[in-house]
Amino acid sequence: MKPERWQQISEIFESALALEPDERLAYVEQECGADEALRREVDRLIESHHKGNEENFIASPATERAAPFLVHEDNEAELSRNRLEEGQKVSHYLIIRKLGAGGMGEVYLAQDTQLDRAVALKILPAEVASDKRRMQRFKQEARMASALNQPNIVTIFEFNQADSLHFIATEYVDGETLRQHLRGRVTMADIIDISIQILAALDAAHEAKIVHRDIKPENVMIRRRDRVVKVLDFGLAKLTEKKTGALSDTEAATEVLVKTMPGSLMGTVNYMSPEQAQGLTVDNRTDLWSTGVVIYEMLAGRSPFGGATSSHTVVEILEKEPRSLADGARMKVPAELQRIVSKALSKNPDERYQTAKDMLIDLRSLRRRLDVDAEIERSASPETVAPSVSTDNGDRGNETAIQSPAGGTQEEQRAPRKRVVVGVLLTAMVVVVALAFGVNVWRSSRAKLASSAPAAVAERQLNYWIMVQKYKDDKPYQAPFRLAGEINFEPQYHIRLHVLSLQSGYLYVLNEGPLEKGLPQFIVLFPSPTANGGSSLVLESNELQIPEESWFTFDNEQGTEKLWLVFSANAVTQLEAVKGFATAKGKGVIRDPDLNRTVQEFLATHSVSKPAVEKNNEQKETNLKVPGTVLVHQIDLEHH
Amino acid sequence: MVLHLAGQALTAKRFSPAPMNKESTPSPHEITQLLEDWSNGNQAALDKLYPLVYEELRRMARRYMSRERKDHTLQTTALINEAYLRLVDQKHVHWQNRAHFFGISAQIMRRILIDHARRYAYTKRGAGAQRISLDEAAVVAKGRATELLSLDEALNSLAEIDPRRSRVVELRFFGGLDNDEIAAVLKISPNTVIRDWNLARAWLYQELSGSVV
Repeated sequence: MKPERWQQISEIFESALALEPDERLAYVEQECGADEALRREVDRLIESHHKGNEENFIASPATERAAPFLVHEDNEAELSRNRLEEGQKVSHYLIIRKLGAGGMGEVYLAQDTQLDRAVALKILPAEVASDKRRMQRFKQEARMASALNQPNIVTIFEFNQADSLHFIATEYVDGETLRQHLRGRVTMADIIDISIQILAALDAAHEAKIVHRDIKPENVMIRRRDRVVKVLDFGLAKLTEKKTGALSDTEAATEVLVKTMPGSLMGTVNYMSPEQAQGLTVDNRTDLWSTGVVIYEMLAGRSPFGGATSSHTVVEILEKEPRSLADGARMKVPAELQRIVSKALSKNPDERYQTAKDMLIDLRSLRRRLDVDAEIERSASPETVAPSVSTDNGDRGNETAIQSPAGGTQEEQRAPRKRVVVGVLLTAMVVVVALAFGVNVWRSSRAKLASSAPAAVAERQLNYWIMVQKYKDDKPYQAPFRLAGEINFEPQYHIRLHVLSLQSGYLYVLNEGPLEKGLPQFIVLFPSPTANGGSSLVLESNELQIPEESWFTFDNEQGTEKLWLVFSANAVTQLEAVKGFATAKGKGVIRDPDLNRTVQEFLATHSVSKPAVEKNNEQKETNLKVPGTVLVHQIDLEHH
Repeated sequence: MVLHLAGQALTAKRFSPAPMNKESTPSPHEITQLLEDWSNGNQAALDKLYPLVYEELRRMARRYMSRERKDHTLQTTALINEAYLRLVDQKHVHWQNRAHFFGISAQIMRRILIDHARRYAYTKRGAGAQRISLDEAAVVAKGRATELLSLDEALNSLAEIDPRRSRVVELRFFGGLDNDEIAAVLKISPNTVIRDWNLARAWLYQELSGSVV
C-alpha cells in the first residue's frame, strides 16, 4: 500500500470514529466521494474495529495470552526431569524405567526384589510430601484403599517412605489407558464390557466407603494380556485436593479455579460432576456421574460437555443438557443404554443412580439382552453374523457388533489385539519361504496360556513374532505385517522381532554370524542400550520390539539367518558379559574369540532340550515352552 | 549372513529448557549507565543493554510461570517493573530513562514470548502409557502459541506501512504499558496513542481474519 493511501484511510477512519456511530456511514461516504475502493477499505476497518471491540481482540496483554503454553512448557520440562535413574533402588524396589509423570508425581516401573514381581512406583512430588496435613489425610485414605481387593481395581501394595522419598507401590498394569484405547476401534460390546468393569470396581470401592473422585479415561487401564479393565489411583484424588470439609463460596470458586487453570496439572475438568465443579462435598454419586461422562464419550466419540475453555466447560456441566445419544453417537446406541447414561448424568445427585450396584445391574441386564438379540439374529441368518471384521478405512459408523455369545466369559469378549498398521498400501511380491520351527506344532489360544495358573514345576515360556517391512527400490512398500509363516526375504527387507514375555525373566537375543577361524561370530541384538533401559531383565507381560523403534536389514549374502532366543529365570553370567558389545557403533559384534566360544558353548549345552513350539496361526505368533529355568530357541530365516 | 540395524534408532526429540546464564547479573550501576548512554544517542549501549535485559526478563518470566507459584499469573508491567527495580540504580537515573527501559523491555518481552511460542508450536510431544493426560491443556496451549505467532507476523507487516502504530501495539500488548507510558516513550500525546491503538487494532483484526474471508 502506498503511504499516501494509508494516510488517507487512517485520517478518514479516525475522524469517523470520533463521530457518533450513526453518523459514521454518511461521513465516510461523503469523504470518499467517487472512490468506491477507498470507501470499502474504510468501512471494513470500521467493522473490524467493532468486531475487535466485541471480541476483546488483543485486549489482555500478550503474557496472559501466552500463559497456557508457558505453563505447559514449564510443566513438560518438569515432567521430563527424572528424579530416579534406572538401576537405582528405592527401599527394596529396583527402578527399571520411567512410565510417566503427572499431578501425582512420577511413576516408575520397578521390580520388587523381595517378592520378585513388577510394581508401579509412584513418587510423590516434594511439595505434596511436605504438606503434613495433606499427607496424613492421604495416608488414611491410602490405607483404606489398599484393603480393596477386586480384580478391576489396581491393588495398592505399599505406601511408604525411603529417605526423603514418599512412594506408593501398586500393581503394575501392562496395557493401554482407556484414552489410548478409544483412539482405535471400539465396538458396542467393548463399551458395555468396559463400563461394567469400571462399575464393578466402583461398587467394591463404594462398599468400602472409598470415593474415587477422578474417574476419567486416563485412570482406566486395559491390560494387554487379557483385556481386563483396571481402575487406577483409588484414594489418590485426595492428594491433589488442597482442603477438606465444606468450603465457603469464594473458597470453592478458588478451588475450582485452581483446578481449572489452563495448563495446570489437573488436566481436565470434563469429568467433574456439578457438585465437584462447585466445590461442594462429594459422595459416591460423583463417581457415577464421571462414569456417565466416560460412557457417553465412548459412545459419541466426544465429551458431553466441552467448551472452548475450562470455565466454559464448567458452565456446561452445571447448566447444559448434553446432546442426545440417539443422533450424536458414532454408533447406534440402544435406547436402554441412552437411558442409563442420561440417568448417570442427572445434575441433581438425588436423581442419579444412587449406587454403583444399581447402575451395574442395569448394564448387566442390558448386556444379557443384547447377547440374546445377537443370538437370535445369528440363528435367523447365520451367514450375516461372521465375526466382526475391522474396517481399516477409519469408518466407525454404526458398529454394533456383539463379539461374545451369550454367557461368554470375559476372556472371550476381549477385542482382537490391535495390529500395527502403517498407511502405505501397495502391491507386494511375495516369493519363497522358510521359517524353520521346532517339531511339536499344535494350536491353542493365547488366552488359555495367559490365564493358566503358574505351573508348580519350573517352566519357561515366551511368545514371539516377526514383523516384516517390505522394501522396493530403497523405499518401504506395503504396511509392515506380522509374518504368518513363510516368506522369501529379499535383501532389502526390514525385519523386527517382537517378544511377549509371559513371565519375568532375563532375555538375550543373538544373531549367529559366519564362521571365523572355525568359530561363529555372534552379534548381540538384545539387550541393547537403547531398549528396555539397557537391561536384560524383562517383566511379565511385556512386549518388546527388537530393535526398538527401528528395523534390522539383511546383508547381501544368501543363506540362513540364525537368531538365538534365550529366556532364563536367572541372569546368565556368560551372556551378561556380551552386553558391552551391544553398542550401535560396534554393531553388536562380539569381538572377543573367548567370549564367542563361551556363548557358543552355552547355546549348544542348553539347546539340547528344545522347547515345544506352538504356532498360533490366528495371532501369527509362536509360543515357546520348555520345562526348567532356561529356554533356548533358534529361529532360522531363509534369505535369498 | 548377519543382520544390520537399519539406520540409527530414532530418539524422540525432547524439549529442554535453555540453560541458565551462569554469568552474574551486571551491577545496577552498569545498566543505569548503559541506559543513560543510550538515551543520549549511543546506539552501541543498546546492543549491550539488550541481552542483559533479555536475560533478566527471561529468567523472571520463567520464575513467574514456574509450578511453585500457585496463581500462574504473569503481569507484564509488574514483571518489567521488577526487572527495572532490580537492574537500574534508582537514585542515579532520570525518569525519562524509565520510559526508555520500558520501551526496550516491551520489545524484549515480545521476542521472549514469540521465541517460546515458536518453540512450543513446533515441538512434537508424545505421551507414555501411564502418563496422566495433559491433552486438553496442550490443545489450548498450541492454539495460543500459533495465534501469537500470526499476530507477530501481522504486526511486522503493519510496521512496514506504519511503524509508529505498530510500536504502540508492541508497547501495549507485549510491554503492558498504559497510554501515558506509551506517550512518554514515543513522545506523542496520550490521545494520539488511543487513536493509533484503535486504527492499528482494527487493521490487525482485519489482517488476521481477512485471510479467511
